[in-house]
Amino acid sequence: MTEERETRLFMISPRSMLTPDQLVRLIHAYGAEAIVKETCYGCLVEGPRSLVLDILARVREKHPNEVFSKIRAYPCSDPRRCRAQHGTRPGFAQLEEEWELLSKIQYGLDRVSEGAGYKQYEDRKRISVNDFKRICEVQ
Amino acid sequence: MKVFIDPPNSLVLFDLVERFGHEPLSTMAAIQERVDNLEVDMPPMNVTLDDVVRGLKYAGVEVPSGVRGRLSLWGPLIEQADAAIIMDDCPYSFGCVGCERSELMVKYLIKRRGIPTLHVRYPSTDEEAVSFVAMAKEFLEGLN
Repeated sequence: MTEERETRLFMISPRSMLTPDQLVRLIHAYGAEAIVKETCYGCLVEGPRSLVLDILARVREKHPNEVFSKIRAYPCSDPRRCRAQHGTRPGFAQLEEEWELLSKIQYGLDRVSEGAGYKQYEDRKRISVNDFKRICEVQ
Repeated sequence: MKVFIDPPNSLVLFDLVERFGHEPLSTMAAIQERVDNLEVDMPPMNVTLDDVVRGLKYAGVEVPSGVRGRLSLWGPLIEQADAAIIMDDCPYSFGCVGCERSELMVKYLIKRRGIPTLHVRYPSTDEEAVSFVAMAKEFLEGLN
């Protein structure tokens, strides 16, 4: 991982009342010299690694379990990827799927910080052949 | 400690590993190195031709080049990992889009390394998510 440049996406959990606009304003209010780009799911923040991590820590302090983040390989507005410049943008298939999961993870983090523990999952059983036949055969 | 996450581009796992004080090893970091240091100008925009050759270390020549390309990114990460978290049954890891064969190879490579590994199921309800987070927290805090 390079120390010079880090691009991070900040994604807001759907259970949160925070909006991407509020998040971007919050980050701008820190006065840090990082590129901040508002997106539909939250925002992208780009800058030196230490600065981006500092912004992440400050955002987490204010919204501990509502904003999730991961790094992004390509820089903001990279012509090879950016849709505005006809890049080969592959889409948000996984991000969209994980965005739906974030509300559950937020709930989980909230409960765990209150002291909740884990329960063992029940093993999923294979469906019996007769049940499977009954499902397949349209009555 | 360096923790390999599987799926290697998962936002949830990346965030949780970092949140509980470890360094996640992810696809994004591997691709970032290539973007910053090498020219990645050809589709699929995340591996170079040399990577596919390097992938031969982890998968045989008869394996599709897509699997080798993925393993050329993930193999070195697994080699430097001190621990791993694997999320099983992810809906987006199914079929050729998620490349089930690569996923199986990754699980095999992790098992062969013998590092501490946590298998968690993709949570489908709030209660499962509580268990998922609690398990991940206990595992990651126990690594210190």
